[in-house]
Amino acid sequence: MAPILEVKDLNAGYGRFHILFDLNFKVDEKEILIVVGPNGSGKSTTLKAIFGIAKVYSGGIIYRGEDITRLPPHEKAKKGLAYLPQTNNVFAELTVEENLRMAGYTLPPDVVDERVRTVLESFPFLKSKLHDKAKSLSGGQRQLLAMAMTLIREPDLMMFDEPTAGLAPIAAKEVVEKILWLRNDLGKTIILVEQNAKLGLEIGDNALLLVSGRIAYYGSAKDLLANKDLGRLYLGLAK
Amino acid sequence: MAAGISLYFLMASIGYASALGLLSMGLSLTFVTTKVANFAHGTIAMIGGITTLFLIDRYMYNVKGLPLFVTSALAGFIIAGVTAVVLYLVILKPLADRGSDVIGLMIATFAIDIMLQSILSMILNLAHGKHFPKLFGASVQSWDVTLNCCGTQIAESHVFLPVAAIILTILFHLFLTKTKFGIAMRATIENPDLAEVMGVNTKAVYTISWFISGALAGLAGALLVFSLKDTSPNNSNLIIVSIFAGSILGGLGNVYWGLIGGFLIGLAEKLGTQLLNLFYNNYLAPSLHLPPFSFVNYEKLMSLGLVIIVLLTAPQGLAGIDWGGLLSRMGLKTARSRKPEREV
Amino acid sequence: MIGVIQNPFTETWILLVLVYIIVTISLNLEAGFTGIPNFGKAVFVFMGAWAAQGIGIRLAAYLLEKTDPGLAAEALKHLQEIGIGTYKSLVQAAGDTDANRIVVTSYIYPYFQHHLALAALLFTAVLAIALALSAAMGLFASFAAVRLREEYLAILLLSFSELMVMVIFQQTTSLNGGPQGIWAMRFGSNGLRTALILAAVFAAITFLYAEKLANSPMGRAMRAVRDDEIAAGVYGRDVARIRLKVIMVSSMIAALAGLAFIQATPSTVSMGFDRVKWTFFPWAYLILGGMANNVGAVLGTVIFLILQRLVQLLPVYISGTSTTIMTIIPYLSNILVGVIIILVLYFRPQGILPEKPSKTVDFHRILVEEGE
Repeated sequence: MAPILEVKDLNAGYGRFHILFDLNFKVDEKEILIVVGPNGSGKSTTLKAIFGIAKVYSGGIIYRGEDITRLPPHEKAKKGLAYLPQTNNVFAELTVEENLRMAGYTLPPDVVDERVRTVLESFPFLKSKLHDKAKSLSGGQRQLLAMAMTLIREPDLMMFDEPTAGLAPIAAKEVVEKILWLRNDLGKTIILVEQNAKLGLEIGDNALLLVSGRIAYYGSAKDLLANKDLGRLYLGLAK
Repeated sequence: MAAGISLYFLMASIGYASALGLLSMGLSLTFVTTKVANFAHGTIAMIGGITTLFLIDRYMYNVKGLPLFVTSALAGFIIAGVTAVVLYLVILKPLADRGSDVIGLMIATFAIDIMLQSILSMILNLAHGKHFPKLFGASVQSWDVTLNCCGTQIAESHVFLPVAAIILTILFHLFLTKTKFGIAMRATIENPDLAEVMGVNTKAVYTISWFISGALAGLAGALLVFSLKDTSPNNSNLIIVSIFAGSILGGLGNVYWGLIGGFLIGLAEKLGTQLLNLFYNNYLAPSLHLPPFSFVNYEKLMSLGLVIIVLLTAPQGLAGIDWGGLLSRMGLKTARSRKPEREV
Repeated sequence: MIGVIQNPFTETWILLVLVYIIVTISLNLEAGFTGIPNFGKAVFVFMGAWAAQGIGIRLAAYLLEKTDPGLAAEALKHLQEIGIGTYKSLVQAAGDTDANRIVVTSYIYPYFQHHLALAALLFTAVLAIALALSAAMGLFASFAAVRLREEYLAILLLSFSELMVMVIFQQTTSLNGGPQGIWAMRFGSNGLRTALILAAVFAAITFLYAEKLANSPMGRAMRAVRDDEIAAGVYGRDVARIRLKVIMVSSMIAALAGLAFIQATPSTVSMGFDRVKWTFFPWAYLILGGMANNVGAVLGTVIFLILQRLVQLLPVYISGTSTTIMTIIPYLSNILVGVIIILVLYFRPQGILPEKPSKTVDFHRILVEEGE
């Protein structure tokens, strides 16, 4: 099967700050790709460049065979990409229901109604909180709400930027399990940036290790986890 | 009524306070959406006032069957709203896109204010010479229709203003909570980037917010004209002080509290000053042998004093006060238990 | 041509240039260097004028009474005779709107013109009062917002200025004669000449001081406050303190302008210090000339005043101007100023002369005496 996403010779950054150098990788359908690396290595930038929030200097982003490099973010969203930023990914002052409706802003009203219902079945805990403001949710719940919001658009490729950051272990586990469920039950393709390398690599199929904006390793996640040198050097994995 | 305060005066105070509530609400709205502290807001309101003058002169009490204050409110609403949008699109938005910071935008509104005042004065001046000899410096109070109520007389505009304020606020609230665009506006206010990602046209949101702000100001100004002693546009010099006071009292970043803040400041200015006046002249001065003193002309000092107090004690305004916590501590509300927040 | 230069209108114009140079530089210190949007500049200029008006004239009457009681009694008798009123003291008469003009022109002015030592003493007192008053006003007007965001400071200063000039001084006749006004204490026989001399001296001092300040450690601290540098924000207390200092100093400078100005136009009422003439215009001059650049401030002032003078002279040179045009000229002038401000903000926000980097100080001084 052709890969759902191909990144070729990608150079990207913010304004004049060149962050990513010559990235090359691909993601197959229903694959979970983990992006790990030390702080400041460009993990978030990779997702942002793919989605169009960071500046692409050169290179190509091919989605389902189509070159989408220059498309603006909301066009990419229409094609089936979703990007979940680390913070500020929900509207705290809006209710849960309003958040879900906002996620479906560009969809026709009856479609939105249907999608909201579907999503609520997958995230039943939200049903009792529909009229609560998003800021009354805990950190973990907020991440799940953000995830639910991206599902309203029924994307095929979902990119998560450190979704477990700042969460207590139990909440983090819930989030990770939900990500696995997205791939296993709904057939989504996932690119996951994780600061917690062990957690990420345990659920990933393939892994991308970024160091200073360049690829230091690209291959099986399990192998990377087992690789003592790289693990110690870059990922803070002891032993 | 209570000694010294007539029903007429009470209604006038409520009318004024309602107008000020609308004005402060509009100011907070454009501040919270486009980060502009609009120093021209008072003059935009005056556009409504000038409109009323022209309508009075041409049509007297009834404009094609509708009572005067309804038409002047509508006309002020539309004309001022459009003016505000034009000012935003032609001057403020380009400056903001160019990278102008908060101070630069403030200076721009300061300049706009003075230009608007000059234009309005010019119009009045020219009209005075040619077609409307009655307008210039006219006292409009006599044009207000009086109603007979409760054994005395009150003015129509003084009733219309609070009613209009309540209706408009309810409409606005419904807009913000029940319509797709209104929810998008709230989303944009909170997180414009995220809203854009979701496909919201933030430029449209900002433009609409300027229309609403200007329109509310125009309506308030159109009706306020009935309570002001003279109608020169320079009145907006002073009204802007009260408008800002209302917004600050409410909390610059909160639209609903802006309405309340403006209302409270209005009451403080009119009713509060009068109460102080009565208290001093009828009780304090005689017993302490102090000379009589009229506080009435100094009512604006109330607003300034309140602003200073707010800035010193709670700069976020009423919006920044934890009402939930306060009510719980007073035993009127049980504190809501929440799941623990993010842990370090 | 010589006639144009020597006539009193031109001298008045030169006075305006000098006075406004002082005000604009004072605004530059606040807005240009420290990022303080002072929308209430007018009231501080007025303080300098008031020191000579409501306060100065009463002080003058007091001095006259003390040094020549006979003359004072004569003045009071005279006032009674011509039916203006009976006053308990010359000080009271001087402050009263009915009696003020006669007391001032017939008695106070001539007296102090003949008693130069006394006039010098009075002048020193008035100057000291002007400075102290404006500094105090600056403190009072801004202390509540000095720790907060710039918007609050701008709003507070504007509100304060408007209320002072338009309400308090307008309504309270005893302060400065209310809407009718009272005459200010004038020194010397020719008010315009005195004003010009004072304005020239003050302008020179102001410019030199501002330049020195800009290149001093305090100048760097001011810029740090303006640019929101993290260091300035971390030391939150210092930000407030620096702002207060700058406002107080700038207010004193502005008062100098008012004091000089009032010499030429001693009967200006408090409302004459409105925000168009004394806040809006200086902002325009500064923005055009260049923020945080003192030479720019001067340049902007001169350019604008030339422009405004031309607009004023326009009807003189257009024959057969209708009254319509005559009435709208002042309004058009304001609109023009506003348009220019906005155009400058859009096309060249730094102004004609952009900010210069502050001059480097030699290493030894940096190591030894850095920081405020």
